[in-house]
Amino acid sequence: MRKVYLDHSATTPSDPRVVEAMLPYLTERFGNASSVHSFGQEARAAVDRARRQVAAFAGARANEIVFTSGGTEANNLAIRGLGEAAQSHGRHIITSAIEHPSVRSSIHGLEQRGWEATQLPVYDDGVVRVEDVRAALRPDTILISVMMANNEIGTVQPIAEIGALVRAERKVGRRHLWLHTDAVQAAGRVPIDVESLGCDLLSLSAHKIYAPKGTGALFVRKGVRLTPQQVGGHQERERRGGTEAVANIVAFGAATELAQREMPERNEHTRRLRDRFEKQIAESVDEIVFNGSREQRLPHLSNISFRFIEGEGLLIHLDMQGVAVSSGSACSSGTLEPSPVIQALGRDDEMARGSIRFSFGKDNSEADVDYVSDVLTHAVESLRKLSPLSRDSLAVV
Amino acid sequence: MPYSETFKDHLAHPRNAGELANANAVAEQTNPVCGDRLRLSLRLRDGRIEAARFLAYGCPPTLACGSVIAEMIEGMKIEDAMKLSRKEIADALGGLPTRKHHAAALAIHTLRSAIEECSR
Repeated sequence: MRKVYLDHSATTPSDPRVVEAMLPYLTERFGNASSVHSFGQEARAAVDRARRQVAAFAGARANEIVFTSGGTEANNLAIRGLGEAAQSHGRHIITSAIEHPSVRSSIHGLEQRGWEATQLPVYDDGVVRVEDVRAALRPDTILISVMMANNEIGTVQPIAEIGALVRAERKVGRRHLWLHTDAVQAAGRVPIDVESLGCDLLSLSAHKIYAPKGTGALFVRKGVRLTPQQVGGHQERERRGGTEAVANIVAFGAATELAQREMPERNEHTRRLRDRFEKQIAESVDEIVFNGSREQRLPHLSNISFRFIEGEGLLIHLDMQGVAVSSGSACSSGTLEPSPVIQALGRDDEMARGSIRFSFGKDNSEADVDYVSDVLTHAVESLRKLSPLSRDSLAVV
Repeated sequence: MPYSETFKDHLAHPRNAGELANANAVAEQTNPVCGDRLRLSLRLRDGRIEAARFLAYGCPPTLACGSVIAEMIEGMKIEDAMKLSRKEIADALGGLPTRKHHAAALAIHTLRSAIEECSR
Protein backbone atom coordinates (compact mmCIF):
# COMPACT_ATOMS: atom_id res chain seq x y z
CA MET A 1 0.00 0.00 0.00
CA ARG A 2 1.19 3.47 -0.82
CA LYS A 3 2.11 5.51 2.27
CA VAL A 4 1.77 9.27 2.26
CA TYR A 5 2.70 11.33 5.29
CA LEU A 6 0.85 14.66 5.40
CA ASP A 7 1.32 15.43 9.07
CA HIS A 8 4.50 17.48 9.07
CA SER A 9 3.05 19.92 11.58
CA ALA A 10 2.92 17.04 14.06
CA THR A 11 6.48 15.95 13.42
CA THR A 12 8.96 15.51 10.60
CA PRO A 13 11.35 12.68 9.75
CA SER A 14 14.94 13.42 10.67
CA ASP A 15 16.97 14.53 7.67
CA PRO A 16 19.77 11.99 7.00
CA ARG A 17 22.29 14.87 7.02
CA VAL A 18 21.06 15.81 10.50
CA VAL A 19 21.34 12.22 11.72
CA GLU A 20 24.85 11.99 10.31
CA ALA A 21 25.86 15.08 12.24
CA MET A 22 24.49 13.79 15.54
CA LEU A 23 25.60 10.15 15.45
CA PRO A 24 29.20 10.60 16.68
CA TYR A 25 27.81 12.28 19.80
CA LEU A 26 25.92 9.12 20.71
CA THR A 27 29.00 6.94 20.52
CA GLU A 28 32.65 8.03 20.54
CA ARG A 29 31.98 11.66 21.49
CA PHE A 30 29.70 10.80 24.36
CA GLY A 31 31.04 13.23 26.96
CA ASN A 32 28.98 15.28 29.41
CA ALA A 33 29.25 18.91 28.35
CA SER A 34 29.71 19.93 31.99
CA SER A 35 32.80 17.72 32.50
CA VAL A 36 36.18 19.47 32.58
CA HIS A 37 38.12 16.67 30.85
CA SER A 38 38.64 16.36 27.12
CA PHE A 39 35.55 14.22 26.60
CA GLY A 40 33.47 16.93 28.23
CA GLN A 41 35.16 19.72 26.34
CA GLU A 42 34.46 18.00 23.04
CA ALA A 43 30.78 17.82 23.93
CA ARG A 44 30.82 21.42 25.16
CA ALA A 45 32.29 22.62 21.87
CA ALA A 46 29.55 20.78 19.98
CA VAL A 47 26.80 22.30 22.12
CA ASP A 48 28.32 25.75 21.70
CA ARG A 49 28.49 25.33 17.94
CA ALA A 50 24.84 24.25 17.86
CA ARG A 51 23.94 27.21 20.04
CA ARG A 52 25.53 29.54 17.48
CA GLN A 53 23.66 27.80 14.67
CA VAL A 54 20.29 28.09 16.44
CA ALA A 55 21.04 31.70 17.38
CA ALA A 56 21.88 32.55 13.76
CA PHE A 57 18.63 30.90 12.67
CA ALA A 58 16.66 33.22 14.97
CA GLY A 59 18.75 36.34 14.49
CA ALA A 60 19.85 36.15 18.12
CA ARG A 61 23.13 35.99 20.02
CA ALA A 62 24.40 32.60 21.13
CA ASN A 63 24.12 33.44 24.84
CA GLU A 64 20.45 34.25 24.34
CA ILE A 65 19.60 30.63 23.45
CA VAL A 66 18.50 28.22 26.18
CA PHE A 67 18.20 24.59 25.09
CA THR A 68 15.16 22.73 26.42
CA SER A 69 13.51 19.35 25.94
CA GLY A 70 11.23 20.82 23.28
CA GLY A 71 8.68 23.46 22.41
CA THR A 72 6.43 22.62 25.33
CA GLU A 73 9.19 23.14 27.86
CA ALA A 74 10.29 26.32 26.11
CA ASN A 75 6.73 27.67 26.39
CA ASN A 76 6.49 26.64 30.03
CA LEU A 77 9.82 28.27 30.84
CA ALA A 78 8.91 31.47 29.00
CA ILE A 79 5.48 31.97 30.56
CA ARG A 80 5.86 30.56 34.04
CA GLY A 81 9.48 31.67 34.26
CA LEU A 82 8.73 35.25 33.29
CA GLY A 83 5.43 35.35 35.17
CA GLU A 84 7.13 34.31 38.39
CA ALA A 85 10.21 36.51 37.94
CA ALA A 86 8.19 39.63 37.07
CA GLN A 87 5.24 39.25 39.39
CA SER A 88 6.21 42.20 41.55
CA HIS A 89 5.54 44.40 38.49
CA GLY A 90 2.14 42.97 37.66
CA ARG A 91 0.23 39.77 37.16
CA HIS A 92 -1.68 40.28 33.92
CA ILE A 93 -0.99 38.37 30.70
CA ILE A 94 -2.41 38.92 27.21
CA THR A 95 -2.72 35.91 24.93
CA SER A 96 -4.76 34.64 22.00
CA ALA A 97 -7.63 32.18 21.73
CA ILE A 98 -5.66 29.84 19.47
CA GLU A 99 -2.45 29.18 21.38
CA HIS A 100 -0.87 25.74 21.65
CA PRO A 101 -2.01 23.78 24.74
CA SER A 102 1.44 24.23 26.32
CA VAL A 103 0.93 28.00 26.30
CA ARG A 104 -2.71 27.79 27.34
CA SER A 105 -1.92 25.41 30.19
CA SER A 106 1.06 27.45 31.40
CA ILE A 107 -1.12 30.55 31.55
CA HIS A 108 -3.94 28.62 33.15
CA GLY A 109 -1.52 27.42 35.83
CA LEU A 110 -0.60 31.02 36.61
CA GLU A 111 -4.27 32.02 36.66
CA GLN A 112 -4.91 29.43 39.33
CA ARG A 113 -2.22 31.14 41.39
CA GLY A 114 -3.74 34.60 41.06
CA TRP A 115 -2.55 35.92 37.71
CA GLU A 116 -5.14 37.24 35.28
CA ALA A 117 -5.21 36.64 31.55
CA THR A 118 -6.99 38.31 28.64
CA GLN A 119 -7.63 36.03 25.69
CA LEU A 120 -7.78 37.88 22.39
CA PRO A 121 -10.22 36.81 19.68
CA VAL A 122 -8.97 35.84 16.23
CA TYR A 123 -12.02 36.51 14.02
CA ASP A 124 -12.99 34.25 11.12
CA ASP A 125 -9.58 34.53 9.47
CA GLY A 126 -7.74 33.18 12.50
CA VAL A 127 -5.56 36.27 12.93
CA VAL A 128 -5.05 38.42 16.05
CA ARG A 129 -5.53 42.19 15.63
CA VAL A 130 -2.87 44.54 16.99
CA GLU A 131 -5.59 47.02 18.01
CA ASP A 132 -7.03 44.33 20.28
CA VAL A 133 -3.63 43.84 21.89
CA ARG A 134 -3.37 47.57 22.50
CA ALA A 135 -6.87 47.72 23.94
CA ALA A 136 -6.14 44.82 26.28
CA LEU A 137 -3.02 46.43 27.80
CA ARG A 138 -3.37 47.26 31.49
CA PRO A 139 -0.94 48.95 33.86
CA ASP A 140 -0.22 45.54 35.39
CA THR A 141 0.29 43.69 32.08
CA ILE A 142 3.73 42.07 32.13
CA LEU A 143 3.54 39.61 29.26
CA ILE A 144 2.01 39.28 25.83
CA SER A 145 2.18 35.74 24.46
CA VAL A 146 0.94 35.28 20.91
CA MET A 147 2.12 32.49 18.63
CA MET A 148 3.97 33.30 15.43
CA ALA A 149 1.95 30.82 13.39
CA ASN A 150 -0.90 28.59 14.44
CA ASN A 151 -0.38 24.84 14.57
CA GLU A 152 -3.82 23.81 13.29
CA ILE A 153 -4.67 26.35 10.61
CA GLY A 154 -1.24 27.83 9.96
CA THR A 155 -2.29 31.47 10.17
CA VAL A 156 0.66 33.80 10.65
CA GLN A 157 0.18 36.34 13.42
CA PRO A 158 1.34 39.97 13.32
CA ILE A 159 4.19 39.53 15.80
CA ALA A 160 6.38 42.29 14.37
CA GLU A 161 3.48 44.75 14.75
CA ILE A 162 2.86 43.60 18.32
CA GLY A 163 6.62 43.90 18.92
CA ALA A 164 6.50 47.47 17.61
CA LEU A 165 3.66 48.19 20.01
CA VAL A 166 5.70 46.83 22.93
CA ARG A 167 8.68 48.96 21.91
CA ALA A 168 6.48 52.05 21.64
CA GLU A 169 5.14 51.35 25.13
CA ARG A 170 8.71 51.09 26.42
CA LYS A 171 9.56 54.42 24.87
CA VAL A 172 6.84 56.09 26.88
CA GLY A 173 8.20 54.66 30.10
CA ARG A 174 6.66 51.20 30.51
CA ARG A 175 9.62 49.09 31.58
CA HIS A 176 8.02 45.85 32.60
CA LEU A 177 6.25 44.54 29.51
CA TRP A 178 7.63 41.60 27.57
CA LEU A 179 6.63 39.78 24.39
CA HIS A 180 6.78 36.00 23.97
CA THR A 181 6.04 34.17 20.74
CA ASP A 182 5.74 30.45 20.16
CA ALA A 183 7.52 30.02 16.83
CA VAL A 184 7.46 26.22 16.82
CA GLN A 185 5.27 25.99 13.71
CA ALA A 186 6.67 29.05 11.99
CA ALA A 187 10.27 27.88 12.20
CA GLY A 188 11.68 26.76 8.89
CA ARG A 189 8.67 28.19 7.05
CA VAL A 190 8.85 31.88 7.85
CA PRO A 191 12.15 33.72 8.36
CA ILE A 192 12.65 34.37 12.06
CA ASP A 193 14.51 37.42 13.26
CA VAL A 194 14.05 38.36 16.89
CA GLU A 195 15.20 41.92 16.19
CA SER A 196 12.63 42.69 13.53
CA LEU A 197 9.97 40.80 15.50
CA GLY A 198 10.80 42.79 18.60
CA CYS A 199 10.12 39.80 20.85
CA ASP A 200 11.85 39.06 24.15
CA LEU A 201 11.16 35.34 24.28
CA LEU A 202 10.73 32.94 21.38
CA SER A 203 10.13 29.17 21.47
CA LEU A 204 11.50 26.65 18.98
CA SER A 205 11.29 22.90 18.55
CA ALA A 206 13.75 20.66 16.71
CA HIS A 207 11.45 17.91 15.50
CA LYS A 208 9.33 20.22 13.37
CA ILE A 209 12.37 21.03 11.23
CA TYR A 210 13.67 17.56 10.37
CA ALA A 211 15.62 16.86 13.58
CA PRO A 212 14.78 14.27 16.26
CA LYS A 213 12.18 14.76 18.99
CA GLY A 214 13.29 15.75 22.46
CA THR A 215 14.99 19.09 21.96
CA GLY A 216 13.90 22.68 21.64
CA ALA A 217 15.10 26.12 22.57
CA LEU A 218 13.95 29.33 24.12
CA PHE A 219 15.40 32.61 22.96
CA VAL A 220 15.71 34.85 26.02
CA ARG A 221 16.67 38.42 25.18
CA LYS A 222 19.70 39.67 27.10
CA GLY A 223 18.57 41.25 30.33
CA VAL A 224 15.25 39.39 30.58
CA ARG A 225 15.06 37.50 33.85
CA LEU A 226 13.29 34.16 34.21
CA THR A 227 12.70 31.94 37.19
CA PRO A 228 14.11 28.52 36.17
CA GLN A 229 11.51 25.77 36.02
CA GLN A 230 14.08 22.94 36.09
CA VAL A 231 16.53 23.25 38.95
CA GLY A 232 19.43 21.10 40.04
CA GLY A 233 22.30 22.06 37.79
CA HIS A 234 24.18 25.07 36.48
CA GLN A 235 23.53 24.29 32.84
CA GLU A 236 22.22 26.85 30.36
CA ARG A 237 23.53 29.72 32.48
CA GLU A 238 21.41 28.68 35.46
CA ARG A 239 18.23 28.93 33.43
CA ARG A 240 17.62 25.25 32.82
CA GLY A 241 19.18 22.55 34.97
CA GLY A 242 19.91 19.12 33.54
CA THR A 243 22.60 17.49 31.42
CA GLU A 244 22.41 18.77 27.86
CA ALA A 245 21.16 16.24 25.27
CA VAL A 246 24.35 16.77 23.29
CA ALA A 247 23.57 14.63 20.24
CA ASN A 248 20.05 16.02 19.92
CA ILE A 249 21.32 19.55 20.31
CA VAL A 250 23.92 18.95 17.60
CA ALA A 251 21.11 17.64 15.38
CA PHE A 252 18.99 20.69 16.14
CA GLY A 253 21.86 23.00 15.21
CA ALA A 254 22.43 21.19 11.93
CA ALA A 255 18.70 21.23 11.16
CA THR A 256 18.44 24.99 11.70
CA GLU A 257 21.32 25.56 9.32
CA LEU A 258 19.69 23.40 6.64
CA ALA A 259 16.28 24.97 7.25
CA GLN A 260 17.67 28.44 6.82
CA ARG A 261 19.54 27.56 3.65
CA GLU A 262 16.77 25.53 2.06
CA MET A 263 13.76 27.52 3.25
CA PRO A 264 12.95 29.21 -0.08
CA GLU A 265 12.93 25.98 -2.08
CA ARG A 266 11.14 23.99 0.64
CA ASN A 267 8.46 26.67 0.85
CA GLU A 268 8.02 26.89 -2.87
CA HIS A 269 7.75 23.11 -3.11
CA THR A 270 5.21 22.68 -0.29
CA ARG A 271 3.17 25.69 -1.43
CA ARG A 272 2.88 24.23 -4.90
CA LEU A 273 1.76 20.86 -3.51
CA ARG A 274 -0.64 22.43 -1.04
CA ASP A 275 -2.23 24.64 -3.70
CA ARG A 276 -2.54 21.70 -6.09
CA PHE A 277 -4.23 19.70 -3.34
CA GLU A 278 -6.66 22.48 -2.40
CA LYS A 279 -7.60 23.02 -6.04
CA GLN A 280 -8.31 19.33 -6.55
CA ILE A 281 -10.37 19.01 -3.37
CA ALA A 282 -12.36 22.16 -4.09
CA GLU A 283 -13.30 20.62 -7.44
CA SER A 284 -14.11 17.12 -6.22
CA VAL A 285 -15.79 17.66 -2.82
CA ASP A 286 -18.65 20.02 -2.00
CA GLU A 287 -19.73 21.41 1.38
CA ILE A 288 -16.20 22.13 2.60
CA VAL A 289 -14.66 25.17 4.24
CA PHE A 290 -11.00 26.14 4.20
CA ASN A 291 -10.22 27.26 7.73
CA GLY A 292 -8.27 30.42 8.42
CA SER A 293 -6.89 33.15 6.21
CA ARG A 294 -5.73 31.73 2.91
CA GLU A 295 -3.27 34.58 2.37
CA GLN A 296 -1.70 35.08 5.78
CA ARG A 297 -0.72 31.48 6.46
CA LEU A 298 2.14 28.99 6.35
CA PRO A 299 2.86 27.60 2.89
CA HIS A 300 2.75 23.92 3.79
CA LEU A 301 -0.56 23.66 5.59
CA SER A 302 -4.21 23.27 4.67
CA ASN A 303 -7.04 22.92 7.16
CA ILE A 304 -10.41 21.86 5.80
CA SER A 305 -13.76 21.23 7.47
CA PHE A 306 -15.97 18.65 5.81
CA ARG A 307 -19.64 19.10 6.62
CA PHE A 308 -21.80 16.13 7.73
CA ILE A 309 -18.86 14.00 8.85
CA GLU A 310 -16.53 13.78 11.78
CA GLY A 311 -12.80 14.26 11.54
CA GLU A 312 -11.62 11.16 13.36
CA GLY A 313 -13.67 8.88 11.09
CA LEU A 314 -12.13 10.52 8.08
CA LEU A 315 -8.68 10.29 9.64
CA ILE A 316 -9.00 6.55 10.18
CA HIS A 317 -10.41 6.01 6.69
CA LEU A 318 -7.38 7.79 5.28
CA ASP A 319 -5.04 5.90 7.57
CA MET A 320 -6.44 2.59 6.34
CA GLN A 321 -5.26 3.68 2.92
CA GLY A 322 -1.83 4.75 4.06
CA VAL A 323 -2.49 8.48 4.35
CA ALA A 324 -1.47 10.20 7.61
CA VAL A 325 -3.20 13.48 8.55
CA SER A 326 -4.49 14.91 11.78
CA SER A 327 -7.79 16.05 13.20
CA GLY A 328 -8.29 18.87 15.66
CA SER A 329 -11.05 17.36 17.73
CA ALA A 330 -10.74 14.70 20.33
CA CYS A 331 -13.56 12.52 21.55
CA SER A 332 -13.05 10.45 24.66
CA SER A 333 -15.22 8.93 27.35
CA GLY A 334 -18.30 10.29 25.65
CA THR A 335 -17.17 13.88 26.00
CA LEU A 336 -16.25 15.81 22.94
CA GLU A 337 -13.64 18.48 22.66
CA PRO A 338 -14.09 20.09 19.27
CA SER A 339 -10.97 21.94 18.23
CA PRO A 340 -10.83 25.21 20.21
CA VAL A 341 -8.95 26.74 17.29
CA ILE A 342 -11.68 26.02 14.76
CA GLN A 343 -14.30 27.13 17.26
CA ALA A 344 -12.42 30.39 17.74
CA LEU A 345 -13.00 31.07 14.04
CA GLY A 346 -16.72 31.09 14.81
CA ARG A 347 -17.49 27.75 13.18
CA ASP A 348 -20.31 25.59 14.52
CA ASP A 349 -19.60 22.33 16.38
CA GLU A 350 -20.16 20.20 13.30
CA MET A 351 -17.54 22.12 11.33
CA ALA A 352 -15.15 22.10 14.28
CA ARG A 353 -15.59 18.32 14.53
CA GLY A 354 -15.11 17.78 10.82
CA SER A 355 -11.81 19.61 10.48
CA ILE A 356 -8.69 17.93 9.16
CA ARG A 357 -5.16 19.32 8.93
CA PHE A 358 -3.03 18.37 5.95
CA SER A 359 0.59 19.48 6.38
CA PHE A 360 3.02 18.91 3.55
CA GLY A 361 6.76 18.37 3.76
CA LYS A 362 9.86 18.70 1.65
CA ASP A 363 9.79 15.04 0.66
CA ASN A 364 6.19 14.89 -0.59
CA SER A 365 5.53 14.68 -4.32
CA GLU A 366 2.81 15.62 -6.78
CA ALA A 367 1.96 11.92 -7.04
CA ASP A 368 1.34 11.96 -3.26
CA VAL A 369 -1.07 14.84 -3.67
CA ASP A 370 -2.97 13.15 -6.47
CA TYR A 371 -3.24 9.91 -4.49
CA VAL A 372 -4.48 11.71 -1.36
CA SER A 373 -7.02 13.75 -3.31
CA ASP A 374 -8.43 10.59 -4.79
CA VAL A 375 -8.53 8.65 -1.51
CA LEU A 376 -9.95 11.63 0.37
CA THR A 377 -12.71 12.25 -2.14
CA HIS A 378 -13.87 8.64 -1.85
CA ALA A 379 -13.56 8.59 1.93
CA VAL A 380 -15.72 11.71 2.25
CA GLU A 381 -18.29 10.24 -0.13
CA SER A 382 -18.56 6.98 1.76
CA LEU A 383 -18.80 8.66 5.18
CA ARG A 384 -21.45 11.05 3.92
CA LYS A 385 -23.46 8.12 2.67
CA LEU A 386 -23.58 6.90 6.27
CA SER A 387 -24.34 10.26 7.79
CA PRO A 388 -27.91 10.99 8.88
CA LEU A 389 -26.97 14.67 8.60
CA SER A 390 -26.19 14.52 4.90
CA ARG A 391 -28.57 14.75 2.01
CA ASP A 392 -26.19 12.38 0.26
CA SER A 393 -26.82 9.67 2.83
CA LEU A 394 -28.01 6.36 1.41
CA ALA A 395 -31.53 6.86 0.18
CA VAL A 396 -34.31 4.44 0.96
CA VAL A 397 -32.98 0.96 0.18
CA MET B 1 -5.73 0.17 22.55
CA PRO B 2 -5.58 0.16 18.76
CA TYR B 3 -8.66 -0.66 16.77
CA SER B 4 -9.02 -4.32 15.71
CA GLU B 5 -9.04 -5.57 12.14
CA THR B 6 -12.74 -6.40 12.51
CA PHE B 7 -13.39 -2.84 13.62
CA LYS B 8 -11.52 -1.40 10.65
CA ASP B 9 -13.34 -3.76 8.32
CA HIS B 10 -16.68 -2.41 9.55
CA LEU B 11 -15.45 1.12 8.90
CA ALA B 12 -14.17 0.32 5.44
CA HIS B 13 -17.15 -1.85 4.51
CA PRO B 14 -20.15 -0.85 6.59
CA ARG B 15 -22.85 -3.55 6.76
CA ASN B 16 -26.51 -2.75 6.28
CA ALA B 17 -25.98 0.95 5.79
CA GLY B 18 -28.96 3.05 4.77
CA GLU B 19 -32.63 3.39 5.52
CA LEU B 20 -35.36 0.75 5.11
CA ALA B 21 -38.23 1.55 2.78
CA ASN B 22 -40.89 -0.25 4.76
CA ALA B 23 -39.50 0.04 8.25
CA ASN B 24 -41.97 -0.23 11.11
CA ALA B 25 -39.52 0.62 13.89
CA VAL B 26 -37.26 3.64 13.56
CA ALA B 27 -35.21 5.51 16.13
CA GLU B 28 -32.56 8.19 15.97
CA GLN B 29 -30.62 8.86 19.12
CA THR B 30 -27.97 11.44 19.90
CA ASN B 31 -25.34 11.26 22.56
CA PRO B 32 -26.11 14.57 24.29
CA VAL B 33 -22.51 15.08 25.37
CA CYS B 34 -20.54 14.50 22.20
CA GLY B 35 -23.25 14.88 19.57
CA ASP B 36 -22.71 11.44 18.03
CA ARG B 37 -25.86 10.29 16.28
CA LEU B 38 -27.17 6.86 15.30
CA ARG B 39 -30.30 6.06 13.28
CA LEU B 40 -31.70 2.56 13.05
CA SER B 41 -34.61 1.56 10.84
CA LEU B 42 -35.99 -1.91 11.40
CA ARG B 43 -38.68 -4.10 9.95
CA LEU B 44 -40.21 -6.24 12.68
CA ARG B 45 -42.39 -9.20 11.82
CA ASP B 46 -43.60 -12.25 13.77
CA GLY B 47 -41.42 -11.53 16.79
CA ARG B 48 -38.26 -11.14 14.75
CA ILE B 49 -36.16 -8.37 13.27
CA GLU B 50 -36.54 -9.14 9.61
CA ALA B 51 -34.29 -6.34 8.35
CA ALA B 52 -32.15 -3.58 9.84
CA ARG B 53 -30.33 -0.56 8.42
CA PHE B 54 -28.23 2.12 10.10
CA LEU B 55 -26.95 5.65 9.51
CA ALA B 56 -24.39 7.25 11.81
CA TYR B 57 -22.55 10.48 12.43
CA GLY B 58 -19.69 10.69 14.88
CA CYS B 59 -16.43 9.13 15.88
CA PRO B 60 -15.29 5.85 14.30
CA PRO B 61 -16.61 3.64 17.16
CA THR B 62 -20.09 5.08 16.63
CA LEU B 63 -19.94 4.22 12.93
CA ALA B 64 -18.57 0.74 13.60
CA CYS B 65 -21.12 0.03 16.36
CA GLY B 66 -23.92 1.08 13.99
CA SER B 67 -22.62 -1.30 11.36
CA VAL B 68 -22.11 -4.23 13.69
CA ILE B 69 -25.45 -3.90 15.48
CA ALA B 70 -27.36 -3.62 12.20
CA GLU B 71 -25.65 -6.79 11.02
CA MET B 72 -26.08 -8.71 14.28
CA ILE B 73 -29.78 -8.10 14.79
CA GLU B 74 -31.03 -9.08 11.36
CA GLY B 75 -33.01 -12.28 11.83
CA MET B 76 -32.78 -12.06 15.62
CA LYS B 77 -35.79 -12.61 17.90
CA ILE B 78 -36.98 -9.28 19.27
CA GLU B 79 -36.76 -10.55 22.85
CA ASP B 80 -33.13 -11.56 22.28
CA ALA B 81 -32.33 -8.23 20.66
CA MET B 82 -33.71 -6.46 23.73
CA LYS B 83 -31.21 -8.41 25.85
CA LEU B 84 -28.14 -7.45 23.81
CA SER B 85 -25.51 -5.77 25.93
CA ARG B 86 -22.89 -3.10 25.31
CA LYS B 87 -20.24 -5.72 25.89
CA GLU B 88 -21.62 -7.97 23.16
CA ILE B 89 -21.47 -5.08 20.71
CA ALA B 90 -17.93 -4.20 21.72
CA ASP B 91 -16.86 -7.87 21.60
CA ALA B 92 -18.31 -8.26 18.11
CA LEU B 93 -15.94 -5.50 17.01
CA GLY B 94 -12.95 -7.24 18.58
CA GLY B 95 -13.15 -4.95 21.60
CA LEU B 96 -13.35 -1.18 22.07
CA PRO B 97 -11.09 1.14 24.04
CA THR B 98 -12.67 1.87 27.44
CA ARG B 99 -13.10 5.52 26.60
CA LYS B 100 -15.12 4.57 23.52
CA HIS B 101 -17.69 2.32 25.21
CA HIS B 102 -20.23 5.11 24.96
CA ALA B 103 -20.52 4.24 21.27
CA ALA B 104 -21.75 0.73 22.12
CA ALA B 105 -24.11 2.27 24.67
CA LEU B 106 -25.58 4.53 21.99
CA ALA B 107 -26.12 1.51 19.72
CA ILE B 108 -27.98 -0.44 22.43
CA HIS B 109 -30.00 2.61 23.41
CA THR B 110 -31.04 3.28 19.81
CA LEU B 111 -32.00 -0.35 19.21
CA ARG B 112 -34.19 -0.48 22.33
CA SER B 113 -35.82 2.84 21.47
CA ALA B 114 -36.72 1.61 18.00
CA ILE B 115 -38.27 -1.62 19.28
CA GLU B 116 -40.11 0.13 22.11
CA GLU B 117 -41.36 2.79 19.72
CA CYS B 118 -42.88 0.08 17.54
CA SER B 119 -44.53 -1.84 20.37
CA ARG B 120 -46.20 1.29 21.72
